[in-house]
Amino acid sequence: MDQTRLEKFIAYLQKSDWSIFGPVFTTAKIEELSPFLAAHQPSPIKKTGQILIKKISKAIELNLDGQLPFYSFKRFFIPEQETLFEYQKNKVIAKKQASKIALIGLNILDLRAVNLYDQVFEKDAYYQTRRRNMLLVGYSLTPETASNIFEHQYEEDILEHLPFDIFLACYNAPRKGAWPPRGFTPSPRSLRGSPPKAELSSGLNLRGGLGELKVFSGSIKGQRILEHFGYQTKLGSSRAERGYKDYTHIQFSGPVKEGQLDERMARLRDRLKNHPNPKIWEELGKICIECGKCTLVCPTCFCFRIDDLPALAESSGARQRCWDSCYYQEFSEVSGSEKPGLGKPKFLSTTAERLHFWYYHKFARIPDEFNFMGCVGCGRCAKVCPVGIDIGEVLKKIENS
Amino acid sequence: MFNPYEHHQAKIIFISRQTDNIKLFRFEFTRPIPGWKFSYKPGQFVELSLPNFGESPFAPCGDARKNYLELCVRKTGKLTAQLHQMRIGDKVGLRGAYGNGVWPLAKYDFKTQKNLLIVAGGLGFVPLRSLILDKNNWLGQETKVQIFYGARQPNEMLFRHEYEQWKKQNIQVELTVDRECSGWKGNVGLVPTLFDKHEVWQNSIAFICGPPVMYRPILDKLKKLGFVDEDIYLSLERRMHCGFGVCQHCAVGSYYTCKDGPIFSWAQLKDIPGAI
Ligand SMILES: Cc1cc2nc3c(=O)[nH]c(=O)nc-3n(C[C@H](O)[C@H](O)[C@H](O)COP(=O)(O)OP(=O)(O)OC[C@H]3O[C@@H](n4cnc5c(N)ncnc54)[C@H](O)[C@@H]3O)c2cc1C
Ligand code: FES
Repeated sequence: MDQTRLEKFIAYLQKSDWSIFGPVFTTAKIEELSPFLAAHQPSPIKKTGQILIKKISKAIELNLDGQLPFYSFKRFFIPEQETLFEYQKNKVIAKKQASKIALIGLNILDLRAVNLYDQVFEKDAYYQTRRRNMLLVGYSLTPETASNIFEHQYEEDILEHLPFDIFLACYNAPRKGAWPPRGFTPSPRSLRGSPPKAELSSGLNLRGGLGELKVFSGSIKGQRILEHFGYQTKLGSSRAERGYKDYTHIQFSGPVKEGQLDERMARLRDRLKNHPNPKIWEELGKICIECGKCTLVCPTCFCFRIDDLPALAESSGARQRCWDSCYYQEFSEVSGSEKPGLGKPKFLSTTAERLHFWYYHKFARIPDEFNFMGCVGCGRCAKVCPVGIDIGEVLKKIENS
Repeated sequence: MFNPYEHHQAKIIFISRQTDNIKLFRFEFTRPIPGWKFSYKPGQFVELSLPNFGESPFAPCGDARKNYLELCVRKTGKLTAQLHQMRIGDKVGLRGAYGNGVWPLAKYDFKTQKNLLIVAGGLGFVPLRSLILDKNNWLGQETKVQIFYGARQPNEMLFRHEYEQWKKQNIQVELTVDRECSGWKGNVGLVPTLFDKHEVWQNSIAFICGPPVMYRPILDKLKKLGFVDEDIYLSLERRMHCGFGVCQHCAVGSYYTCKDGPIFSWAQLKDIPGAI
């Protein structure tokens, strides 16, 4: 697939009623994305702009240069706030169906997080409805190691362990000024040292056919859409050629490579479970201010709470599920008489305990449950931490403890 | 697809006051759902829902074989205060049952001599009453059952009108209150003091349920008596939201209190900091 085809493909998706979202370089405010996020994460906005995931109308708006979007794709899978149902007295009123959403340009780190959502919300009717109405289009460029702490690399053989419908792999060494145009900048590795700005400005002209994106399908939905796209846009000259054929199917074979132990995961889990080192958490507990920003930007933080939102009419309202953070004191609080200075009784009573809970979940509990790490290594948490806690450093401490 | 967050409507058919701030409610499902039958094992819990007050977990305390559900609820916060104001005929939502309940009992062969020691404090007695009422289902004919139960004062003892009947079924009931009270002739002192007064049957397994502060001293007593960690079970309390192992609120180490518990063996918990 080349640039022109991608343009056509996106136009085709729009015609087929998909709302299309992808990474965009923008100076947009968080408020535009979500009032919930804005309330929890005031002004992380950079004057120079940043990569946010926004609704797009043309391929050219996409920024697929391997930079991580500031927020992950999490909120499309697990909305920051969703109504489970509405009620009037004891009558429950079911919620409307999900709309069709296509996510373009999920990098392999963010796709790994989708593996986790798929497992955790396997039996969740709301998630499953949403997921059925989603199209995931992955993209091969990975962020540089600074924000890729496990140094995940794109290789064709990882594709069978990633949950996508369509995957676009950027293969050919891209030529300047042509393919990839704006946004489709070359691999981050060849970019090192040169400011990405120059790349961006050089690529406004759309000339297709110079570089190729290799196309994979990862689901029947992906195959159907590609084939149908071919018919609709009359790509081939004869009828027989019309369907889009230029793709390879990859059968998803689960999130974990069979018979291959992730040694880093095994080591971290062993340290946390069998050799706990409270010092690490006590030290971090002294600096962490429990703002919960890391949990907002983390693609794998999915804790939630359930609350009722009363409406005006008597005994009516909505039961809502919204993101929670294990850094908040209320997270483990239970009913009971308050203790002076300590508030209500709670089970995670110190910052150190709450920090430990967060790390334990990602590096021990999720591995125990699903046999993969609950961290994709994107480093978003380190970027937003106001006191400079760097997950990469903490992991080294755990391993060396 | 089955929606685990949807609750089933039930109505209150009976209320009895147990103590100043504890009431027993009996519920009946209003609209039977074809193909669905509510059932639970002693020790499991349900989520009770009241519009605008959210949901809270409660452990059924009645006889699991009956076609109604009994909950014994202490008034302590928003939802429970609202429930305490409700009357017969009022409706609630219920979902569940969740958790493992007393299934660990299933692994024991009570025919070949295992006895049961129940140690409970305050409201902790609630789920264990279900076990007592349904004991023939879980225990052997010959199983000796002992109950060590403590409350702050005599009039806070739950189900106190039923003890005589239980004694007739060969259940040994030993009671204690925290402080001297006029008219109380029984033991005075916290629950662990009952261990100094009464002998525990050889070859017993123990179930403990009560306020977390009593767990350590009771564990000490049980260990001194030679109980192995695998034969000691305790019920954990945690804040809960989903009830089935997703929201993370109730996680303890690699376990979820809602899904893998609320009843755990001490062998499972002893190496987890902060578990009790
Ligand atoms: C497995 C289990 C079984 C229980 N069984 C009983 C029982 O049989 N009888 C009884 O009286 N109580 C029982 N509890 C405790 C009961 O759930 C709480 O007292 C109740 O949730 C308090 O709700 P509230 O709205 O009145 O209190 P608030 O203080 O107003 O509660 C506010 C919020 O905290 C949550 N919450 C508060 N305390 C607890 C808690 N202890 N556990 C879980 N969530 C909590 C509530 O769900 C609610 O979302 C049980 C708890 C658990 C975990
Ligand atoms: S209550 Fe949600 S995980 Fe246990």
